[in-house]
Amino acid sequence: MPDDTATGVTTAAAAIAAAPEHHQRNEVLAVAIGAAGWLVPGLGHALQRMWGRALGCFLTVGALVFLGVGMRGNLFGSDGGDAFGMLGYVADLGTGSFYFVARALETQGSDVAHAEGDYGTRFLAAAGVLNLLAALHAYEAARGRKA
Amino acid sequence: MNAPTDFHLSHFQAMTLFALLISIAFGFLSRRRTNERVKYIIWSLFLFLLIGVGIGWAMYPFSR
Repeated sequence: MPDDTATGVTTAAAAIAAAPEHHQRNEVLAVAIGAAGWLVPGLGHALQRMWGRALGCFLTVGALVFLGVGMRGNLFGSDGGDAFGMLGYVADLGTGSFYFVARALETQGSDVAHAEGDYGTRFLAAAGVLNLLAALHAYEAARGRKA
Repeated sequence: MNAPTDFHLSHFQAMTLFALLISIAFGFLSRRRTNERVKYIIWSLFLFLLIGVGIGWAMYPFSR
């Protein structure tokens, strides 16, 4: 009986000692999943086998970027100039790799003189912010906070 | 890469398309079951359009 107790205590102590290391490994994995979700919309969820969410994120963010470019929205660059330009750049960069796809697609440049171009700018910014939200969701899911 | 065709959408079409895509994304992120997602998407889309048109009408007296 005392032997069993001693073994139990030893096992519990080992589990407690290993917990921070396990927690740290999970945290690193969750950050990597979040980063993957930001880089390629939906990848963070796909890595966790949440196929519906992965497809939903990929298609909606992709459609918003495609429509934004098609409407000749303004795609902000790092040389935005003022605070709003920088804010727009951060929002656009939220689409991850799709930002560079949009840059490659928008060969004619933006046209915000018309309402369509103005709407296109909002579509592109919304795509970025939406993807950041999805990446954060994937990160939280990887940490086991929500699913 | 070739640029996508220039899209010429009216204000209402652009708003509807935007509302639909955002509603779909929110529905997929916040609900797990298919029927819950569909309900959420429809309800969210309806509210997007209602509030959008409502704000449009509220701005009408100041448009000229």
